[in-house]
Amino acid sequence: MAGTGPHGRAERRSAGELESEVLATLWATDDALTPAEIQTEIGGGLAYNTVHTILKRLYDKGLVLRDVDGRRGAYRPAKNAAQLTAEAMHEALDRGPDPIAALQQFVTGLSRQEEEALRDLLGGTGP
Amino acid sequence: MRIDVYVPLVLALLLASVAPAVGRRVSPGLAARVLVTAAALTAAASTWALLLLGATLVDQAPAVIAEAGEEGRILPEPVPETVAVLAVAALAVVGHRVRRVVRAHLATRRVLHRLCEGHPPDSELVVAASPSPQAFAIPGRPGRILVTAAMLSALEPAERRVLLAHERAHLTHRHAVLSTAVALAAAANPLLTPVRDTVAFLLERWADEEAASAVGDRNTTARALARAALVSQRARPGCALHFSEHAVTRRIAALRTAPPPVMRSVGAAVLALGALPALGAADATGDLVQLLAGTLPGW
Repeated sequence: MAGTGPHGRAERRSAGELESEVLATLWATDDALTPAEIQTEIGGGLAYNTVHTILKRLYDKGLVLRDVDGRRGAYRPAKNAAQLTAEAMHEALDRGPDPIAALQQFVTGLSRQEEEALRDLLGGTGP
Repeated sequence: MRIDVYVPLVLALLLASVAPAVGRRVSPGLAARVLVTAAALTAAASTWALLLLGATLVDQAPAVIAEAGEEGRILPEPVPETVAVLAVAALAVVGHRVRRVVRAHLATRRVLHRLCEGHPPDSELVVAASPSPQAFAIPGRPGRILVTAAMLSALEPAERRVLLAHERAHLTHRHAVLSTAVALAAAANPLLTPVRDTVAFLLERWADEEAASAVGDRNTTARALARAALVSQRARPGCALHFSEHAVTRRIAALRTAPPPVMRSVGAAVLALGALPALGAADATGDLVQLLAGTLPGW
């Protein structure tokens, strides 16, 4: 199997890609996260200062909130635009013919046997 | 004219029958590109062939018949009149099908544009605060990646990186352009429908391979796909099997073996298969022009 492992590649990612990754990390959890916690979560040799810089940029764009839940230095994603996007997406999905179905979606349907095979692949750590 | 005008139609069948095999054996990036090019050439040539067949009806025009009668010339009939009439009918169907694809495409673009409203223009990731697991690329300048909160929280950190790299690959390699081109080709020539389906699968495989090399781990990439497929399945059961051509299990199986070889020779052969109908159509055009020159004095 080819590959050098998922770590140690942070330096190859562009600033825009790192922004996406930090934002994705904040959205993946219900908790507010500090830069150190984000750094641990992402791994891949990302420097603390880099995480800090990226968070500042996301904050300036209004994509994250700072000092939330009474925790100084903790970040949480801003929800407004994301909620509007979700509404627009569901509206589009509910309306036929489905314009989202025409897109290259990350994954599509499974049969029952396929579902079981995938659970085996994930070795019980499945979702 | 008698034979080569039908060449594009026959070669479309041949291209459709080899497409799945090419897709299985050749690296997805190369296979997708050559199949789209060959399909576009074939569709253009077969549409042109229909136009040529329809154009032979010109000698049925009363003015032409009258003029030929006056000059005592015998009008050639390169193809039976029934064939020519059928070709005109087929052209009308092609026009309708192409229009439908274009409309669907524009409708999708409008929706996607709306989804990005309210998000800063210079940020790549557009999150939708939705409990339904979804992820897709939004083509444009710049391209964006839409992922729902449910999808993000279902994945491990390394798997989220796979997801982002996969969608990013769709954007950097302009997969939307390729998929629109092959959809138009299949609309113009329904015989090319299997090519369109193969290309849809190959674009996903291509993005998977790009993600695997960006993350540096084929296993993690396979696990990301498996987990995303399972959460999607839980969220909307019953839509299974509609998308067997995109079958995520086939993509996962491919990631658990070595990447497929590039095989430029096969790519060249597929391109040649696309060029042949174009040559046939060009030859038939020459023949028809000659015929018409005889029919319509003054050409």
